[in-house]
Amino acid sequence: MVRTYETVFITLPTLTDEEDRGVVDGLSTIVSDGGGVFTANDRMGRRRLAYPIRKFEDGVYTRFLYDSEPTVPKELDRRLRINDKVIRHMTVCLEPDWAVAAKEQAVRDAQARADAEAARAAGVLIEAAEPAPARGRDDDDGEFDERD
Amino acid sequence: MGYMRDGNGGGGGGREGRSSGGGGGRPSGPRAGGRRRFLFRRRKYCKFCEDKARWIDYKDLRTLQNYIPERAKVLPRRISGTCASHQRQLMQAIKRARNLALIPFTSD
Repeated sequence: MVRTYETVFITLPTLTDEEDRGVVDGLSTIVSDGGGVFTANDRMGRRRLAYPIRKFEDGVYTRFLYDSEPTVPKELDRRLRINDKVIRHMTVCLEPDWAVAAKEQAVRDAQARADAEAARAAGVLIEAAEPAPARGRDDDDGEFDERD
Repeated sequence: MGYMRDGNGGGGGGREGRSSGGGGGRPSGPRAGGRRRFLFRRRKYCKFCEDKARWIDYKDLRTLQNYIPERAKVLPRRISGTCASHQRQLMQAIKRARNLALIPFTSD
């Protein structure tokens, strides 16, 4: 039976961007190989952890939202446990009616992000000389920092 | 106490307030006239019941933060007015958020 699952995992803050992307890509292929269909595969960004895990104070959050058979989250869980670049992970099976709302929200978020990206790209084209102001890394306002 | 948020935590025990709300409350029995002091207390209600279809998301820290006072414990139902089913959902969301280090289990 196909159900909607949401997996969130935290990768090491010390990884470089490419390494992190490699880890995420490796895990996302498990989902697609198992016949899962992604609705969202976001990097939620780097965030300060509420408490240290393995002596790390920060972590990079990634979220998968996908429809699949239950074998996929099982395999994903196994691989996440083995992977030592992942410091914490959790999979949640969403109730069918909430799953619909969650997927709609994910699509809206993706759209908003694409729009923001496009707007920024346009802005960069117009005022190429002026660099965009960098945001502080650890402004702990309860939201995830945008990171790309 | 860090719990008194809505300005409705007066001196004398939370229990009195419920029967005094004027219209819509349960009948208050023989003492019809008394307890003027509590007349204008704002009525508590479940903030999640306004939008019934909504799922309490464990990633939605803006919402969860309202239910975890400074010691990072869960705000009890008698203070927040959340209904029983939503309090259970809230509890689950908070526990999930704690596991993902989004919310502390305790703050020092």
